[in-house]
Amino acid sequence: MWFRVLIALGGLAALAALHRTLIQGLDRLLAALDALFDALRGKRWRDAPLALFLLSPAVAILGLFGMAPLFYAVYLSLFNSRRPDRPFIGLANYSRALTQPDFWKSLLVTVYYVVGTIPVTMMLSFLVATLLYRIARGRGFFRTVYFLPYITAVVAAATVWAALLHPQDGPVNALLVWLGFQPKSWLLESRGALWVFSGGWIPADIGPSLALFCIMLFEIWHSSGFMIVIFLAGLTVIPRDLEEAARIDGAGWFQATRAVTLPILSPTIFFLLVVSTIKAFQAFNSFYAMTGNGRGPQNTTQNLTVYIYANFYEFGRIGYGCAVATLLAIGIVVMTAVQWRLAGRRVHYE
Amino acid sequence: MTRKAALYALLTAGALAMTFPFVWMISTALKSEAEALLGGLELFPERLMWSNFVVMFQEAPQFATYFYNSFVVAFAVTASVIVTSMFAGYTFARLDFPGRGLLFSLVLATMMVPFEVTLIPNFMLINALHWKDTYAALIVPWCANAFSIFLMRQAFLGLPADFFDAAKVDGCGHLRFLVWIATPLVKPVAVTVGLFAFLGSYNSLMWPLVVTDRDEMRVVQVGLTLFSSDEGVRLHLLMCAATVVILPTLGLYFAAQRYFLESAISAGIKG
Amino acid sequence: MKIRTVVSAAVLAAGMGMLVPACGSGGGGGEFRPIDPNAALFWDRQTDENRELLESIIAEFNAERDGIPVKADYVGGYSEIFRKLVTSIQARTVPAMAVGYQSMTTVYAQAGAIVPLDPLIADPGLGLSEQELADFFPVVLETNRYPTLDDGMYSFPFCKSVLMLYFNKRVLAAAGIDAPPRTWDEFLTQCRQIKERTGKSAYAVAVDASTFDGMVFSMGGEVYANGESRFDSPESLAVLKLHETLGQEGLAYQILAHRYDDRSDFAQDKVAFFFRSSSHRTYTGMLIEPEAWGMAVIPQADPEHPKTVLYGPNINIFRTTPEQERVAWEFTKFFTSPEVTVRWALGTGYLPIRKSAAQDPRMQAFWEEWSYNKAPFDCLDFACSEPNVPGWQEVRELIENALAGVLTGVKTAEQAAAELKQGADAVLAESR
Repeated sequence: MWFRVLIALGGLAALAALHRTLIQGLDRLLAALDALFDALRGKRWRDAPLALFLLSPAVAILGLFGMAPLFYAVYLSLFNSRRPDRPFIGLANYSRALTQPDFWKSLLVTVYYVVGTIPVTMMLSFLVATLLYRIARGRGFFRTVYFLPYITAVVAAATVWAALLHPQDGPVNALLVWLGFQPKSWLLESRGALWVFSGGWIPADIGPSLALFCIMLFEIWHSSGFMIVIFLAGLTVIPRDLEEAARIDGAGWFQATRAVTLPILSPTIFFLLVVSTIKAFQAFNSFYAMTGNGRGPQNTTQNLTVYIYANFYEFGRIGYGCAVATLLAIGIVVMTAVQWRLAGRRVHYE
Repeated sequence: MTRKAALYALLTAGALAMTFPFVWMISTALKSEAEALLGGLELFPERLMWSNFVVMFQEAPQFATYFYNSFVVAFAVTASVIVTSMFAGYTFARLDFPGRGLLFSLVLATMMVPFEVTLIPNFMLINALHWKDTYAALIVPWCANAFSIFLMRQAFLGLPADFFDAAKVDGCGHLRFLVWIATPLVKPVAVTVGLFAFLGSYNSLMWPLVVTDRDEMRVVQVGLTLFSSDEGVRLHLLMCAATVVILPTLGLYFAAQRYFLESAISAGIKG
Repeated sequence: MKIRTVVSAAVLAAGMGMLVPACGSGGGGGEFRPIDPNAALFWDRQTDENRELLESIIAEFNAERDGIPVKADYVGGYSEIFRKLVTSIQARTVPAMAVGYQSMTTVYAQAGAIVPLDPLIADPGLGLSEQELADFFPVVLETNRYPTLDDGMYSFPFCKSVLMLYFNKRVLAAAGIDAPPRTWDEFLTQCRQIKERTGKSAYAVAVDASTFDGMVFSMGGEVYANGESRFDSPESLAVLKLHETLGQEGLAYQILAHRYDDRSDFAQDKVAFFFRSSSHRTYTGMLIEPEAWGMAVIPQADPEHPKTVLYGPNINIFRTTPEQERVAWEFTKFFTSPEVTVRWALGTGYLPIRKSAAQDPRMQAFWEEWSYNKAPFDCLDFACSEPNVPGWQEVRELIENALAGVLTGVKTAEQAAAELKQGADAVLAESR
């Protein structure tokens, strides 16, 4: 093994020694290819030959390992996988999904989770980023620190969170008791977070369960570092004088942010919104790590991905799992399209 | 002045909340087995057990191999992702050809399929190709992804159009423009893409587990599962291993940090 | 990008999806092949010392005979093994053997991937004699018979353990109790006494379907009979009622089952009891002095006729080649031979599955080391196995929801029992 490492290092050294010649050769090759593709360029197909050349690796891989499985999943969803002869059953798996209360409950959990995490994470990250932006000393340090959760092993993080939220004598409960409140069961509480916090005023079956609420908090904690780093970078490009000019004109921090910072950051915000929504629809790891099986108390943390996973790898219902997955993929496509339509237009470009 | 102090106080409080689990992970790695098993949030071990790290490598001597595999795979994936997404990103941003929008949507659509779903068909494909227990199986499926292509496309879109026009006047074609002029300009985004590709590959567990049967082909994340069983988790060793596994990621983050920052600038992400 | 393109892309994707079946083979069909033609692979989950012991047993087996060797591969925990096998079965290449629970076996068997063991056992050359069969505790063999597969044997016992009551003597003494409870009435009385005298909760509950089953057995009931669940039985209701009471009176609290807070709270004298499989003895012993705790048969309705639940994985033999199947069976036989079963038990803390183990001097020495070491073995005579029917894995989830529901007061025992009965029967009917 170390021998192979040595060979690799030797190869690198040889490359470094020959790099000038190699670069010249590469340039000639590129020029020749450019000439070739220029000659191939037609009126009707325009840059298509060059596009084909440049896209082929990515498209081949995505087609084989990204798209084909989707088709295959759609295909499998039409069969009953729990019989040795796998009979074709048409859309029965889909109609089963649509009539299963569990499916709808999982969808609701997914929706709670998406709605509950994304806006909060984005606002919080934006706030921290603007705070960090206002300090000169230690910005790099804080930025690294706020990024740490993103790279901490999820097992380690989830273990700590579970200990913090220990239903008997966890530190969080100790604090609550000290403040004169009742201790809570946190990750084991299937009743609504709103019910718990409103002291029973709001019905227990409305809103996410307290357990799901804990997972949302975990996810906000886990992924805000990523967003802070991106926001902060976005902020640093904003010309200071622009904001200062606004402030001189009598605008407060809030107004300056609204009039100057937000429009300039809007493409960043939109990008983060789209990507993190897709990720939130597919969230799995934090659910699994926090509850041990993903389902949580009375299945109140079972989102669609956990539901698919359980059907695949616990109950062996492959066809049914594929049907639910197809429905999920359709849901994500629709969701993304809606976002594009509603928010995409408001994004400010230069 | 007080406002500034308040600002720092706020940020420090936040920072403590963010780092606590990380610090706890390291402190648990240094506890004795019984102390670690008692659970709780005690940060200071009774006695610092540096020997845990030795024990961990003794009990799981395969870890050296796992590390080697993880590095080979993660670096190969990183390099490939950078190349494929630069090519594809440039094509979608700057070339003009029929069906561009449709193809781009199809690429984005691959983001919308949950990984759990693609596992079985992809495994069957790997099996049909006789790629099981090879680096190819661990690397090739991850050599391109929609997210990176999207990011690179945005970066290329962000370059002023006159750059290309000027180059064209000088007789520079697309490929030479891409390699010699555009690449240095989008380097920060490319580094970000690379970092995420590395993180994604290095942290994956399920796929390597499914496509490898032989221990010699396993990766570090599989190694982490060695310390848990149905009867219990050997928490101190698990945290040792987790700490060791995170180190390269941390190092890479520091190395990439400079670019990483600038990157989101130009990834300033224009649609 | 325009919405129209997104939609047309989606339509195109769906259209192509419909086309695939025309050229696809249907995913599966055809013969199973071994993953490794040159070795009988054994997919396992043991780590640490257990794995070393397994490797050395395998080395001995390979040294004794010619032909292809057995080779153990560590594949992660049960869920990883199951996931890998589900995918492998789809691809029609399988290992020669793997460990697994009965619920996993039913899924493999439905796909036709498992070798039935009855013909091998009955084989005059390869099989087991009457005498040998009689040496196994009946329950460890019964647990591998599958009623929906004509009562055939489709797996063989590998690591066995039983549900035990773990009690903390310090807490019991502080509450003025000198012996662990023998009946469920006594259990409840003791829990109340502990709460009253020490202010502590008595029992840390790791909600688990097997524990529930064991409790129902010990009450004299059943959880499944004749194709349907028995959650409407008075015994099932009694178990749920007990947990309802425990929850209402603050005598017990739930823990996250995948963390082992029950063990650590127990070791720190925060509770007096927990119920877990006997295989938790080793880890518990690391946390608390041997004089301070013990293990006992779980409380009973009738202590004269005790019952508990049998836990633990089995070996599955997969359809590969006749040669690999034979080697796999020979290895299984070797592994469960009296000598090896004793060594495995001593090394891992699982139970020896043969009666003759009781005569082994090493086993006897181990039992004398600590007064409770023998308690789990004594339970093998009356341990019962859980149902081995398709769909039971889903039923387990329902059981756990019912149990957690009554404990936390979300449901009444009657309500939980009715829901459980209805949900379980629906799943079982659909899975048949």
